[in-house]
Amino acid sequence: MDSERGVIEVTGLTVRFGGVTSLDGMTVTFAAGTCGLIGPNGAGKTTFFNVLSGFVRPAAGSVLAFGDDLLAMVHFRRARWGVRRTFQTEQAIEDLTVFDNVAMVHEHAGLGSASRRQDVLDAIAFVGLEAGPAARVGTLAAGQRRLVEVARAVVGRPKLVLLDEPAAGLPDEETAHLGDVIRGIPEQTGGLTILVDHDMSLVSACCETTAVLDFGKLIASGPTAEVLRDERVVRAYLGTAELA
Amino acid sequence: MAGTAVRTARARPRPPLQKPGAGTLTRAAVVAVILLISLFALPELLSLYYVDAMTQVAVYAMVTLGLGLLVGRVGLVSLGQVAVLAIGAWTAARLLFATTLPYPVVLLAAGVVTMALGTLIGLPALRLRGLYLALITLMLAGAITVVLATANFPNGGHGFLGYDASSVHIPPIRRPSIAASDPAYFRYSVIVAALMFLLAGVHIKTRPGRAWAAIRQSEPAALAAGINVTLYKLWAFALASFITGVAGGVLAGAVHYLYSIGFPTQDSITLLAVVLMGGAYSLWGAVVAALLLQLLPAGLHNWGVSADWLTILFGLGVLQVLTTAPGGLADQVPKDLARLGRLLRRHLPSGAGG
Amino acid sequence: MPSWQDFQPFIVSGLALGGVYALSGVGLIVLYRATGVVYLAFGAVGAMGALIAWSLVNASVPGWVAWLVCVASAGVVTLGYGLLFGPALAKRDPLVKAVATLGLTLVLFGVMDLLWTTGGGQSRAITLPTDNGGFTLGQIQVTWTQVVGLGAGVAITVVTAAFLRYTKLGTAMRAMANDREITATLGVPVRRVEAAAWLGCGLLGGLAGLLLADLVALDATTLTFLVISSLAAALIARLRSIALTFVAAIVIGLIHDLLTPIQSLSNYRDMTPFVLAAVALLVLSRRRVISLSREEA
Repeated sequence: MDSERGVIEVTGLTVRFGGVTSLDGMTVTFAAGTCGLIGPNGAGKTTFFNVLSGFVRPAAGSVLAFGDDLLAMVHFRRARWGVRRTFQTEQAIEDLTVFDNVAMVHEHAGLGSASRRQDVLDAIAFVGLEAGPAARVGTLAAGQRRLVEVARAVVGRPKLVLLDEPAAGLPDEETAHLGDVIRGIPEQTGGLTILVDHDMSLVSACCETTAVLDFGKLIASGPTAEVLRDERVVRAYLGTAELA
Repeated sequence: MAGTAVRTARARPRPPLQKPGAGTLTRAAVVAVILLISLFALPELLSLYYVDAMTQVAVYAMVTLGLGLLVGRVGLVSLGQVAVLAIGAWTAARLLFATTLPYPVVLLAAGVVTMALGTLIGLPALRLRGLYLALITLMLAGAITVVLATANFPNGGHGFLGYDASSVHIPPIRRPSIAASDPAYFRYSVIVAALMFLLAGVHIKTRPGRAWAAIRQSEPAALAAGINVTLYKLWAFALASFITGVAGGVLAGAVHYLYSIGFPTQDSITLLAVVLMGGAYSLWGAVVAALLLQLLPAGLHNWGVSADWLTILFGLGVLQVLTTAPGGLADQVPKDLARLGRLLRRHLPSGAGG
Repeated sequence: MPSWQDFQPFIVSGLALGGVYALSGVGLIVLYRATGVVYLAFGAVGAMGALIAWSLVNASVPGWVAWLVCVASAGVVTLGYGLLFGPALAKRDPLVKAVATLGLTLVLFGVMDLLWTTGGGQSRAITLPTDNGGFTLGQIQVTWTQVVGLGAGVAITVVTAAFLRYTKLGTAMRAMANDREITATLGVPVRRVEAAAWLGCGLLGGLAGLLLADLVALDATTLTFLVISSLAAALIARLRSIALTFVAAIVIGLIHDLLTPIQSLSNYRDMTPFVLAAVALLVLSRRRVISLSREEA
């Protein structure tokens, strides 16, 4: 039942850097499944993710994740709670193998070593990686590395998966494959996914609901198709006639 | 669906698998040969002057190992390793004068004390960004150098500092009974160095090494993956301090009189320079760096060339490394050899080719 | 505990020293904000300039020519470095840029030791004409050189602050401190502004080297590492505020010299800049939870 799956409740979240207000009283609830978070550059999307990761302390506001006060946890402990994240810039470790990369996340998230090997292989198979688990990530192409990062984000059964522009710079074919993978995440992990991306077709294809940020303010949220047609959203993207 | 995507993807050819076994075995064999040569052949072949120089190489190989771990593996730049070395040397000298503890115990103690101090100092400093961390290590090293210059090295006196200002005759720091002569002490220092390299190697291949790789790649990503970055950075600091402390102990026995070594701030900069040139990432790089730092000056001095040319060379080396080859020389050489290998294979008759 | 009278001469020398640290700190900050480089070779270029001046004076070149050459040489070396290595390292981390200047420091160090060896126990000295005159303030003797030291510090601080605020070049430098790429798109000749910053910083290095060679000692090692005191002041000012750098530099100079008459602490007075800078850095770090690169922030 939908009511039993967790939600992320954000209330009045405000972040300031010096004189700039990055997030301004953001209040939204992310429902179960896959949610999109879009907005022009500088809108505050990555800042929001940084708050969830614990890298940035908000000036005000709260985040209740599945009923738990997320902001009260130390950043590296949030992985243990069940937050996983990909970044705009690469973070798959070049010197290590695919297996070690994914296994490391599993290990440091406090998941038991008994199930580790199977969980890791499951995650690698799930993302449809061409290269084998023993391949050094440094030898892989960009698209493959991105998949490794997604594997790291879904291993074990994370509660919250944050994907920050996973399709950036990928050719269409690989973006399509990525979309397939992302759509499969809720079933694979039982968790909630928030997807940030500029590729609107990807967002439409993967996310049931979408929230829109502009200049740190939430300007729309709801079913993805409706949001993408919303006049305010179109205007915020300045000149993009059609988004969907 | 994801399943179909997987099937389509698997249909494409896979990249060729690597054979890990052969590489590790060759490396181990090379290390064994070098160790055997160092322990048995070198002391016989070299003059006492060069045996002395090679002992210094063994000592500083441990120091460059420590710095290489910090810089190459974790991405932390320390400009104060020479001060850490001084602390290790001071501790060892104090214990050697005040007690009759066996040498290995003294070395261990020097390592542990240095490790404790290094960790204590590292703790508040670790929150700092790369540049500021480097600068604070420079500051702390400078402060320590001033303290050491004022407190002086132990000379057999009593009290905490073990320094007797009135004594005219300074006793030499003793050596282990089994390694009293210079060639014997050289062998001793090579063994200690080998053990330190082994210690470092074990760390690199297991959990801390993987965590360091993650931290070097991207700290936020490491945190997001659940790695307690501060803890692992501290671990790296502790390990580097321990190894450098032990090196200080070996240094004390090597030179007999510590007051002759200045441990100046400039040396910490030169140390960073050779580590960068030798290649901060690989363990071989640490050995190359030590050779640059101690063998080359000894050779030049012997031939009447001023060591200043080396200082200039190291300065230029830093600039070259930073602008072109971030991996350093020890990284370049294997790359060049691999390229050479490929070239040769291409030109061999087709039957022999792979 | 020494008496008030014992401290008095050290107040003057401390202020003079602090003044020179201040003008050095200002130079470091301006360059950092324009290029992102913490110029650790600042002391070394000044030291070499002072040594060149010494050699010239020894060769019977008129004093004022030697001083000019000192300042100019430091400017030329710094500008040369900036033009040669600035572009190559422009996109790198501030740490890499700073370590690169350490490379320059080593090169200069080696050159200085080669050309002006310290073997044989000979000590060199620079005497400026302002050493001979002075006045008496109460019971303290003040030389003109000390006045120049403090005065230069004040003057450079004020002039630089005004320059950054009111001139076109200064405003361009401030803009670049914020964002180099955006400033370039605004049509600002980024390379030229950087060159100006490098040259200015180098000239200040030469001036500082000359004054410190007179006030402290003409010794390559001492002068090269006195940059740390100026760096300490700049760090206390978070590598941003020129006014704060001035205050911090004066305080560092004062504390250092005032510790001289205190028997128990005198030997440790060289620790002053190190300790103050370390404390400043630690306080600096309290603000951020974690450092983020530009893209991640």
